Amino acid sequence: MASTEAEATEHRRGETRAGAGGPRYPGWLAVPAVAWYVLFFLVPLAFIAVTSFGEVVGFSDVAYTWTLDNYRYLWDDFFGEFHLYRDIFLETFKLSVIGTLSTLVIGFPLAYYIARYAKHKTLLLLLVIVPFWTSFLIRAYAWLIILDPEFPVFRALGMSGFIESQELLFTPKAVYIGVAYNYLPLMVLPLYAALERIDWSLVEAAQDLGDPPWRAFRRITLPLALPGILAGSLLVFIPLMGEYIIPVILGGNKTFYAGNLIAQQFLESRDWPLGSALAMVVIGALTIALLVYARALGRQEQHS
Amino acid sequence: MSDEITMWEQPVSRRGFVAGATAAALAVAGLGRLGGDAFAATGAADAEGTLFYYNWAQYVNPKTYAAFEKATGIKVKKGFYDSNETLHAKLKGGARGYDLVCPTGYMTKVLIAEKRLEPLDWSKLKNVSKNVDPKFHNTPDDPKSTYSVAKDWGTTGFMYRTDKIKERPTSWKEFVALTKKYGKTSMVDSSPEVVGSIATMLGYSYNTENEKELDQVKKILLDLKPHVVALHSSNYDTLIASGKAWMGLGWNGDGLALAAKVPAQYVVAKEGGEIWIDYYNIPVGAKNPDAAHAWIDFVYRPQIAGLETSFTYYGSPLKRSLLKGTAAGKLLTDKVVFPPAATVRKLETNEVTAKGTRLRERIWTEFKAS
Repeated sequence: MASTEAEATEHRRGETRAGAGGPRYPGWLAVPAVAWYVLFFLVPLAFIAVTSFGEVVGFSDVAYTWTLDNYRYLWDDFFGEFHLYRDIFLETFKLSVIGTLSTLVIGFPLAYYIARYAKHKTLLLLLVIVPFWTSFLIRAYAWLIILDPEFPVFRALGMSGFIESQELLFTPKAVYIGVAYNYLPLMVLPLYAALERIDWSLVEAAQDLGDPPWRAFRRITLPLALPGILAGSLLVFIPLMGEYIIPVILGGNKTFYAGNLIAQQFLESRDWPLGSALAMVVIGALTIALLVYARALGRQEQHS
Repeated sequence: MSDEITMWEQPVSRRGFVAGATAAALAVAGLGRLGGDAFAATGAADAEGTLFYYNWAQYVNPKTYAAFEKATGIKVKKGFYDSNETLHAKLKGGARGYDLVCPTGYMTKVLIAEKRLEPLDWSKLKNVSKNVDPKFHNTPDDPKSTYSVAKDWGTTGFMYRTDKIKERPTSWKEFVALTKKYGKTSMVDSSPEVVGSIATMLGYSYNTENEKELDQVKKILLDLKPHVVALHSSNYDTLIASGKAWMGLGWNGDGLALAAKVPAQYVVAKEGGEIWIDYYNIPVGAKNPDAAHAWIDFVYRPQIAGLETSFTYYGSPLKRSLLKGTAAGKLLTDKVVFPPAATVRKLETNEVTAKGTRLRERIWTEFKAS
């Protein structure tokens, strides 16, 4: 979905470039990308959509009966008295929002420092990316060691009485820590890209003309960084809505989010139709969020 | 995305006890799986003489692999699943190329009904015919042993650290009470086992489909939730070994492997519980069914069967007399590996139907989400 947005941005840029008499690229260059997209995104999506209107017969077979039962079941759950799935979705939304905000709060100063002050930008960027060289899974397991109450840092902190370290591993807190760590580079890179383009003399000019630093930041830096903030938020928020591994490993597999719920329907419950309907609900919600985002971005570009 | 797929397949197991397992070791294993999975996903052609064995992790003695490769020249490619349901989802989802799988009886039955298994060629299974106790043939799961040979059998109960817990629990009631008292319990991540066990505690069938009865089970489970450390079929027992948990709901082999490392005891609860048999099956689409037959026949050489039992701590279906003098010899009198008939009688096999499964999964979702 992020790629859709990137394509859209690219498209807009392409127009201006063509208008300015820049080079034009033959359309067939898009064929591999489009074919990939159709084959591995649209076709599976169609499968999920169709399956969501089916029902389970016998042990695990799916009958394509075009029933609305799965959606009715979810509707009753979401708006009924007993709302198991609604609670799971709200928890997931909370995880995504807090995860996005925490990576932003942690990532912005970092990106700002690298873009404006750092001497060895490439090296620092490399350090941000280095964790990606290791499997996501291994990074999550690494936190299992770090959050272990027996980990020396925690033993020291525990003895000093600052924290109750026992409480961290296999709790939602551990999930939030894992999320903030694992998604940080996805936030830092677009932030850096936006901040790096800023002409800092504008900020200096604002300050020379009497703006205190915070106002210069609000009026100059922040608006110019906004596309980066929005792009980073998107890159973090969307995958977080389907986050599945971190709760399993660091949450002790006893905190449940939408990704786990959907995986359970496919892998354990053998209820592909309900799993598909749940997936469609997530996709629908994300599409709406994306539209809101696209509008915000459009408005932003009109401003600047 | 590949990370998620790998996650489903990291080595987690029936016999999940990985000696001295560290997160790093698990992670490395996970990395290994990444490569293995890529191999499977591309459907790379199997060389002649390769057996693709898709199994619970830590469910085969590493020495057996080596002995098999040496004896037959067939290389073993390994894949791992963490639940019968995952295996089923894989086969149903169209995964092809596995030569040998080991689901539990109830899942074997489903796979037979859904025509996902190849019939066995008994002319290639001389050791099985000769050495396996006949009571493990023609079971209700596969009445004519057309598709399956019993691999191991075991029970579902609980284990606890005898050095941390002073009480000596023998029942599910005590298990529940001590879970609330200490808040140090881990469980396998599997609804049939957990829901079924609590149902037997209430005096109901392990396979109950009665909604009122299941509602009572649910209430007890929701009550227990705050006291549960983690739900992991892979490392519920490693958590007990490391002291993060003191009690665990799981399988007897894990319990005994645990007791080999730390002071611990495995218990078949007084009220009852599950008894299960895992079977060797050859799935439709196997590339090398001959190799699968060779493996099955190989492991029923008494010495090899003994090697297996001494590693997994699960009951071998071999005639008991043949195990004397093998590596499993001293386990023959162990009541955890080979529970006495009186214990076996009060246990039930998993016979949960589609309806029962739906009800259990719903409870499980609530339990996890609470």
